Amino acid sequence: MSIFEYNGSAVVAMVGKNCFAIASDRRLGVQLQTVATDFQRVFKIHDKLYIGLSGLATDAQTLYQRLVFRHKLYQLREERDMKPQTFASLVSALLYEKRFGPYFCQPVIAGLGEDNEPFICTMDCIGAKELAKDFVVSGTASESLYGACESMYKPNMEPEELFETISQALQSSVDRDCLSGWGGFVLLVTPTEVKECVIKGRMD
Amino acid sequence: MAGATDLPPKGGFSYDNCARNAMLVEKGLKMPGFLKTGTTIVGLVFQDGVVLGADTRATEGPIVADKNCEKIHYMAPNIYCCGAGTAADTEAVTDMVSSQLQLHRYATGRESRVVTSLTLLKSHLFSYQGHVSAALVLGGVDVTGPHLHTVYPHGSTDTLPFATMGSGSLAAMSVFESKYKEGLTREEGIQLVAEAIRGGIFNDLGSGSNVDVCVITKGKTEYLRNHQLPNPRTYVSSKGYNFTKGQTVVLSTKITQLKPKVEVTEGDAMEE
Amino acid sequence: MKLDVSAMENNFAAHAAGGEDDGGLFGAGADLPAMELPTCPADFDGFQKETKEMLKHKKGTTTLAFIFDKGVIVAADSRASMGGYISSQTVRKIIEINPYMLGTMAGGAADCQFWHRNLGIKCRLHELANKRRISIAGASKLLANILYSYRGMGLSIGTMIAGWDEKGPGLYYVDSEGARLMGSRFSVGSGSLYAYGILDEGYRYVMPVEEAAELARRAIYQATFRDGASGGCVSVYHVGPNGWTKLSGDDVGELHYKYYPVEAIPVEQEMADAPAA
Repeated sequence: MSIFEYNGSAVVAMVGKNCFAIASDRRLGVQLQTVATDFQRVFKIHDKLYIGLSGLATDAQTLYQRLVFRHKLYQLREERDMKPQTFASLVSALLYEKRFGPYFCQPVIAGLGEDNEPFICTMDCIGAKELAKDFVVSGTASESLYGACESMYKPNMEPEELFETISQALQSSVDRDCLSGWGGFVLLVTPTEVKECVIKGRMD
Repeated sequence: MAGATDLPPKGGFSYDNCARNAMLVEKGLKMPGFLKTGTTIVGLVFQDGVVLGADTRATEGPIVADKNCEKIHYMAPNIYCCGAGTAADTEAVTDMVSSQLQLHRYATGRESRVVTSLTLLKSHLFSYQGHVSAALVLGGVDVTGPHLHTVYPHGSTDTLPFATMGSGSLAAMSVFESKYKEGLTREEGIQLVAEAIRGGIFNDLGSGSNVDVCVITKGKTEYLRNHQLPNPRTYVSSKGYNFTKGQTVVLSTKITQLKPKVEVTEGDAMEE
Repeated sequence: MKLDVSAMENNFAAHAAGGEDDGGLFGAGADLPAMELPTCPADFDGFQKETKEMLKHKKGTTTLAFIFDKGVIVAADSRASMGGYISSQTVRKIIEINPYMLGTMAGGAADCQFWHRNLGIKCRLHELANKRRISIAGASKLLANILYSYRGMGLSIGTMIAGWDEKGPGLYYVDSEGARLMGSRFSVGSGSLYAYGILDEGYRYVMPVEEAAELARRAIYQATFRDGASGGCVSVYHVGPNGWTKLSGDDVGELHYKYYPVEAIPVEQEMADAPAA
């Protein structure tokens, strides 16, 4: 079994018209045993920048703490928030530093940049950036997520439609994965507001 | 783990997690695969410069992780570099060298030379004994004329009139071997490079999607991103799926209104 | 067992190298391009076993059965998985061998299905030959004997044979390691520990059929909740003196919210203060 499959996870981010959504499942497992069904994998960096960390939970939390630390240092020095692109480079550098002893995390970064231009990106566990214009996925359900997003995604969706699309893509994917699911968490960010939702899903 | 929460490190690799990861592997957990660019990258010298080419597929095992990634990396305004192998390594090594070149240009005020970047690349790769798995095709034009080199992960290099690298290198090389000649024109050069890349795209499973080309001549660089799109999307109806609002059952919602950020110009009284 | 593979050996190269060099057709000797045979593990049986394991459609499962005063209750989930992938959510894991006997499946799907069908044939033949139904003890022993004869050859079956015969309710646990146990309650599969927790806590010998069915349903449900490899639907069967009846089949997706109703929490509005540091 791969180390990525130890806790199980599913994270996806999608871009809409001047907005983006990032969603994850809520399961924390130890292999096949479900330990918690309210686990957070999507973290806030600032109001318009979020990171979802799939993979080994212990590394996800450690990495998150290091990222928050580095972002706070940046805020103190620069007196402004980081741009998503800058943050992606930071994550990439932090991961690549551990090239020969990596964190077992596959991050998904989503944020609104200057002029509220949405930005999404994912990486492998050693920081190889993969920029996308439409959607990015990671986690044990990533293969089914690729399929679901590839067929459900449309360009320039309005926030409401984006929310439905990402929720349905997440649900249908985790229902085909033993190691993720148990409810979902969707975060929708527009220039004026942030909507965080816990969505109902199968609990098996 | 003393260094983990200390101030940002000054650079270099950190081996903090290695002991733990070795323990996990010993316990029977498999190490994950990395993002690879099972790739076709090529380059050739034509009458007044260098043409570089690459496909745009990134793979993670059997999965196509990115259908349109960039494999031709910037090194200097007159030097570009195609990367194959582990994506993070090619990205990091080219980024690192390109910033060293920039600093060198600031210090000397002269255009970077291709051999400089070649030496920087090979000395880094050699010192890691092939563990940094980057296979590169480096091309550029400097005061001494056009140059094309290949760099292997262990740090050895070649200087060639035409070169291919990556999993699709055999397919691409067969095109070059049969059609390359000295003194190609710009158009012929681009065409031959595109044909070689297409050879990789269609005959190598690790390569696919589109053709990226970069033409470097004396004093001018043209990056032709997605020069050819031989694999357009043919599936999915244009209308797509429609989800009516409220189809997803929401258990709880929290809405946070974002206030516009207040600009505080220096010297003014604090407003908030 | 060692297979004779001498016919597959590359004796051409040996011939060319050892033979007299007449400078003729084979003159090039060892330089001739000869393709090396792909290496095979020395342990042929191990290789086959490994391959079979690799291709096997395994079911992480939760099944249970117990005897009480009004007969036997048999229940199971309906998920089939291959590694982390869920290949089906609608598998029938309770096999109706005949109107008086049920079998449950855990382990390899194909192994279970085939040998239960085989057992069904054998039971029917027994009925025709002896003009009376086979006992549960007899049927389970038929299966156990077959499985024992294939012991160590890669079969993977963990099953319960439950039913009603002349002596009353019967319940046996049989597995591919050769075990055959009689008992009053069993649970088999990756989720069995979770199911046992509920089952042991709520089990009494005397209880109404509805209560027994609910106990079984709850036990399977709890197992599907905790075990990643169990899920889908919970089916519950009851076997009484007149044969089995299917009592229920509930989708776990709905069952969970029946056990733990949720009401949507009103939308929480919040104004962001100064940029969160």
